[in-house]
This record gives sequence, structure tokens and C-alpha cells, in this order.
Amino acid sequence: METRALRRTLGSGENALEILHGLDVVIQPGEFCSIMGPSGSGKSTLMYLLGALDRPTGGQVLIDGIDTKALSEAALADVRNRKIGFVFQFHYLMPEFTAEENVALPMRKLGLARRPALERARELLGLLGLAGKEGRLPGRLSGGEQQRVAIARSLANRPLVVLGDEPTGNLDTKNGELVFALFERLVREQGQTIVVVTHDPRLAARTDRVVRLQDGKVVDDGPARAVLARAGERS
Amino acid sequence: MRLLPLFGIARRHLLHSPFRTALSITGVAIGDCFMVLMSALMAGFETKFVDETVESSPHVTMLDEFRDPPDEFAGWLSDQEGGLVAVESAHPRERVYRIKKPYETLAAIEERPGVAAAALNVVGTSILNFGNREVGAALVGIDPERQDRVVSTDTYMIEGRLADLHSASGAIVLGSGLAERLGVRRGDTIGASLRGSGEAGGREGSTRALRVVGVFKTGLVPVDAVRAYTLVSLAQQLLGLGRDVNRIVVRLDDHTTAQDVAADLEAMVGYRSESWQEQNQNFLSLFNIQTVITYVVTSGITIVAAFGILNVLIMLVLEKLPEIAMLKSMGYTAADVTVVFMLEGLAIGALGVVFGSIGGYWLQQLLASFPIPMKGLIEIEHLIFVDPPRIYAVAALVSFASTVIAACLPALRAGRLDPVVTLRGRA
Ligand SMILES: Nc1ncnc2c1ncn2[C@@H]1O[C@H](COP(=O)(O)OP(=O)(O)OP(=O)(O)O)[C@@H](O)[C@H]1O
Ligand SMILES: [Mg+2]
Repeated sequence: METRALRRTLGSGENALEILHGLDVVIQPGEFCSIMGPSGSGKSTLMYLLGALDRPTGGQVLIDGIDTKALSEAALADVRNRKIGFVFQFHYLMPEFTAEENVALPMRKLGLARRPALERARELLGLLGLAGKEGRLPGRLSGGEQQRVAIARSLANRPLVVLGDEPTGNLDTKNGELVFALFERLVREQGQTIVVVTHDPRLAARTDRVVRLQDGKVVDDGPARAVLARAGERS
Repeated sequence: MRLLPLFGIARRHLLHSPFRTALSITGVAIGDCFMVLMSALMAGFETKFVDETVESSPHVTMLDEFRDPPDEFAGWLSDQEGGLVAVESAHPRERVYRIKKPYETLAAIEERPGVAAAALNVVGTSILNFGNREVGAALVGIDPERQDRVVSTDTYMIEGRLADLHSASGAIVLGSGLAERLGVRRGDTIGASLRGSGEAGGREGSTRALRVVGVFKTGLVPVDAVRAYTLVSLAQQLLGLGRDVNRIVVRLDDHTTAQDVAADLEAMVGYRSESWQEQNQNFLSLFNIQTVITYVVTSGITIVAAFGILNVLIMLVLEKLPEIAMLKSMGYTAADVTVVFMLEGLAIGALGVVFGSIGGYWLQQLLASFPIPMKGLIEIEHLIFVDPPRIYAVAALVSFASTVIAACLPALRAGRLDPVVTLRGRA
């Protein structure tokens, strides 16, 4: 998965505003990568582009070698379904569906029948420490539990990459740690590729690589420890 | 597109807010219910009117005149282009109208297949008086036994019998409205003014005493208000017609064929022959107008209900913005999302129509059970409903279609929503 000279302009004409000014980022399979940067630097925008929710106005996004720019709406949706798992800051679970049904939703879209989809959903929820809470509605789960359900859902279709946009932004330290511990386990044990936006250097330190964005440009990119050390020196 | 998971999502949305769902369904149901109710009521009135009319009026009436007056000199003159003469006001030729050779004609009509019975009538207007009250009446001279085979008359008698016309020399049977206006009952003696002309006619301006031997009530207000029956001979005297007959009334095996038969008879005999439909054209066209009005009003109700659905679905879509974004991020397409909301509209429409039809049926039974006397074109004791399946089908179709159309707009909008806009707005 990579971006080449990625640009994204919002609006058009006089109101046009370029948010990303030519990003080149390559995400390796099995990589646990965090993206950092001040508010408004374009982290979310980058995530939407990497996740095929949005199309670049310049440059390219290649997901598994496929250029998203050339794809139709429906084909983009299919890419999201098969290859991408999203986790957002706000959990965005369907309030009318139980935990396991929420996790089953992407599988149902893929074409899996209800029964096997729910079976795999329970398996994933068990893996994330939610055994026994599969039948609960989101309203009856804590914030941390809801976020773990969302992670389970992002993993449902064995995606190429899990994209997390500040997935711990709404959680307390303990739950944030728990989520990152889960990510680490997924990367180490299952070789899952994960890209996650975070403001917390301590959480970023647990990842392999940190990409720092500022004003829509990559200002630093490298092993987590080195990038964080350089950032620490500067401030 | 795999529909099953979409069904599941739509179902959950609807079940998750049962009150809102029930409210939307009720909206559709009320529209549908009233459309059924109004249509059934209108059909009820029309059916009642037609039933009473074909029972108490001849199916075909042969008159003593021609559709195109054959010898109008004035008409011929004014048809001449560039003529030197212009006719300003032509006075129609004085002539006595009558049906020639009535018995032969009657026999010929009765021969025709499809004709159940026929009778000779003498009709004209006569002024009846009782004390100082004077009322115009449509006098019909009949042979009671023959007449009853053509037009049910005896069954409508509320006082006396039709055969009582034979009981006295000056016997008359009055419509209930007519009797009421004169203020008479069975047994009273009233006066009828005599017409001058004709061989057997009396002196101009003199009156003849008549005895009221019966009163009838068909329920058709315009009939009951003016019609009076006497024997043929008495009517001929009162109207000054000598021995002439000016109507032949016909009953058919099937009243719906009246227009065809009337045209046939007219072609056969030449005299103007009118079907009951032609004679009641004014009223029948009134029913057409009434049907249009009914549909306009009930469509209004349906449109209001549709706006309700539109409103509810727009609210639903706005409320579900984050979830729509989420569904799309999971790979659900715009079409998927549109289908989810369309399914919700379809479900609301279908359930609304089912409950509306049940409600419409039930309300008919309820309203028909109350005594609600009314007197208009027809006189009734309680509301009459006629509900052929067509009424339910039309109401269901209109209600369902308007719901689906109302659902289209929010559903399409939901599908087109850009998830990125929603996500940016929150994170
Ligand atoms: N709808 C919009 N129209 C114009 N500019 C926008 C719009 N949405 C966001 N922006 C701008 O785009 C830039 C990048 O936004 P983005 O959400 O990617 O930043 P971010 O790094 O995710 O910030 P945060 O850490 O606060 O989430 C910001 O400068 C923001 O002001
Ligand atoms: Mg952001």
C-alpha cells in the first residue's frame, strides 16, 4: 500500500484549499505504523484517502496495487469491504444491532450467510476479550468495550490494513493502552498491517514506525523511537 | 446486491423506534382508510339510487315525439344559405302528440327478446288542490296490474294498494312527498283541474274531485315529490287527451342493456325512446362529479400522509448520518443505503395499507349500524356502503404509491451522502 505525490484539494475555484501537498508514503505488509502531527495537519484526510473513502485530486493511492482514482463508486466500496478495516474515534456502532451483529455487518455485505458470519463475529469478540457480551446492544457496553467491538468489526473480512483515526482519542489511558496492546498482538501474532493516528507519544512508541505530518507534508518518517526522539528534542 | 442484510437493517431501524414507525404506519392507514370509506359511501349512494331507479322507473320509456322534428319549416328556411328570408321567432305547429296504433306497437315491443314486460301510460302534468293548497303533479295513467309488471309500484305502497285504483271512479294514488305537500292522507278527497282540449274533455278551468286511495314511497325523493297514479281512462279525461296514449314503458330482463334496447326500439318504431340512464342523465352525471370530488379530497388526505412519511424519513436519515457513514466505510454502496431506506418506506406503506383496509372495512360496518336518516336525492335510514374489491385495490394502490414516492427522496439522499463529510464533521 502506498501513496505517490498524493494531493487532496477541498473545494474548488477561489475557495479551493489544498490540504495534502504531495505525500509519498509506503506502508509495508505487517507494519504497525502510527501517524502523528498537530491538529489540522491532514492526518484524517490521509486516512480517508488510504481507506478508499475519498479519492485524491492529485497523485495516486495504490491499495494492493490498485489505483483508487480509476475505480467506480461501487468498486471503491468493494475495496473498502474486502481490503480495509476502519476504526474511528467515535465508535459508530449500529445502535440497533448487538455486538456480534455489528461485527457481522461487513461479512454480510461480502456475502457470508448470517450463521457463519455470526460465528466468526463471536470468535473475533472472544479474541478481543468480549466473550459473554456478544449479544449486548452497544448502549449497554462501556466506551472501551464498544471500541473493541469496532476493532473486531474492522477485522471481520481479514483486511489488508486496519486504519485507525485516533481510535483511543475518546478512551481513558487504561482503555487506550488496552486497545494498543490488542493492535500489537494482532500485528505480532497475525501479521496484520495497522496504520493508526494518535496524538499520544507513549502509544506511538509502541508502534514500529512513525510518520509525522505538518501542514499537509511529511516532515519526519522512520522507526518510532528515532522519530519520537527527534520530536522530543525540537520541543 | 445482497438484499437480505439490507432487510435486516431496515427491520431494525423500524423496530428500534416503534412509536415513530407506528405513527408513520397510522398516517398511511388513515389516508387509505378514508379513501376506502369515502369511495364505499359514494358507491353506496350511487348503487342505491340506481337500484331504486331501475326498480321504480321503466327501463325504457317510449315517448310520443320524434328526436328530429320532421317538418319544421322554419328550421329548413334558416338552413338555406344566403336566403332572402330570415325567421325571427318560429311558433311550433299546434299538434296533438300521441302514439299511433298503441296496441300494435305494444305487442311488437313485447315480442322483442330481452323485453320482460311493457305497458301503455298516459302522462301529463296536472294541478292538484286540497283546500287552498295547489301542487303540480306528474300524473301517470296506468293499468295497475300491467304497470306493476313493468315498474315495481305496489311494493312501495305505504298506504292502501295499487289495485285500489279500481275501487272508486275517481281514485288516485299519490307519492309520499306529494301527499305531504298537499297535506292529505288516504281517504281524503282532493281536486284536479281539467284540461280543455280533446273530445272527452270537460270545460276549461273546472275541477274534478278525486279520492286518495293510497300513498307510495320509492325513496327517490324527486319521484315521490311529484308522481301520482290514476287509471288510464281517468288520466285521459284529466289531461284532455281523449283516447290517446302518449307513453309506452318497458321493463327489460337486464337493465344494463337499456341504452341498446332503447336505440333499437326507436329505430323500429320511430318514436323517441329513452333509457333510464338517459332519463336520469343529470343525476348520473352528478355521481360522476361526486366521484371526482371524492378522489380529489381523499387524494388530499393521502398526500398529507405522504408528506408525513417524507418528514419521518428525512428525520430518520438525518439521525442516522453517522451510521450511514459507517455502513459506507464498511463497503456498503450508495445503492445499498438507498435500498435500506426504500425498504423502510415500502414496509410502512404496505403495513399502512393493510391496516387502512381493515380500518376502512370495520368503519363501514360501524357507521352503517347507526341510524342516520337522510333525505336528499334519495331517502335513507342509515348510511349505505358498497365495497367491491376494486375500492380497496384503488385506495391501496394510491396510498402505497404515494408512500413509495415520498420515500424515494430521502432514500436517494441517504445513498448519495458522502461519508467523509459526516466523519470530518465529528472527528
Ligand atoms: N470541509 C472542509 N473544507 C475545507 N477545509 C477543511 C474541511 N475539513 C477540514 N478542512 C481542513 O483540512 C485540514 C486537514 O484536516 P484533517 O481533518 O485532515 O486534520 P487532522 O490532522 O485530522 O486534524 P485533527 O488532529 O484535529 O483530527 C485542516 O486544516 C482543516 O481545517
Ligand atoms: Mg482528524
